[in-house]
Amino acid sequence: MQPTSSMKEEFLKKWQMGLQIYRPLIDNTSVSERRKAIKLSADVAMASLRKGTTCWSRALIQKTATEDNFLVRQMLSGIKAETLINKKLPKVMCHRKIVRRSKKILRRRQSRSAIEEVAAKARKLVKKKTQGLRNVVPGGEFMSNDVLLIQETLDYIVSLQTQVNVMRSIVDAAEAGSERTAYYLGKLKFAIEDG
Amino acid sequence: MSSRRSSRSRQSGSSRISDDQISDLVTKLQHLIPELRRRRSDKVSASKVLQETCNYIRNLHREVDDLSDRLSELLASTDDDSAEAAIIRSLLNY
Repeated sequence: MQPTSSMKEEFLKKWQMGLQIYRPLIDNTSVSERRKAIKLSADVAMASLRKGTTCWSRALIQKTATEDNFLVRQMLSGIKAETLINKKLPKVMCHRKIVRRSKKILRRRQSRSAIEEVAAKARKLVKKKTQGLRNVVPGGEFMSNDVLLIQETLDYIVSLQTQVNVMRSIVDAAEAGSERTAYYLGKLKFAIEDG
Repeated sequence: MSSRRSSRSRQSGSSRISDDQISDLVTKLQHLIPELRRRRSDKVSASKVLQETCNYIRNLHREVDDLSDRLSELLASTDDDSAEAAIIRSLLNY
């Protein structure tokens, strides 16, 4: 499970499309506005790779739509944008509380061996960490099922790696290009001044 | 008495299945995260893997923010006619 070159290509194309949409704005706005535009286009591009098949990508699209509805609609094909933006995410499962309470009652009735104690503690720790995951994965708060959460996390990480990979290549190339250009321009200037 | 026993075993039975699923997925996570992949030992606990996963995702978020910053600085020069502007424009298909 690695970012494939086709994923990277697709991400780049979609991201470029988003930046094109922002072009008239980018030329005339502040650095912070530009930065927001770049990041939002990158996020929608990353989410659209999954074509709405994963929970995290739908959640990310909805979240971005609240910040810039216009961009999201433009970047996704017209009809799809409507369904993705308006699709209701499942409500948080409130039966979790009931399950917890009944588990507590069951625990009180059972006496546990030392091994069971250790296993229970480990499970508790894992539960705590999966809660941390819910905070960083888009839409995590709607994933009460731990199996689903980790499956989504795996996919989300590969997509993030794709996003970072492509953005890093572009930025490095652009910076290197400008440095090299500046270097040669400097050399040229020096040579001219020297006569 | 028997009902309690059977309910206990039923509960542990179903949780055993999802425990296996989860440990399988956690192994997949371990292979995905550079920090843990490097160590190559399979003695990393599930909670450690999940913790590192959180950290890794947060780092990736930070990196995207940083790259967005750098790019927005670079784009500041696209309106002039410098060679740098031309490079960035071609990279972004402007």
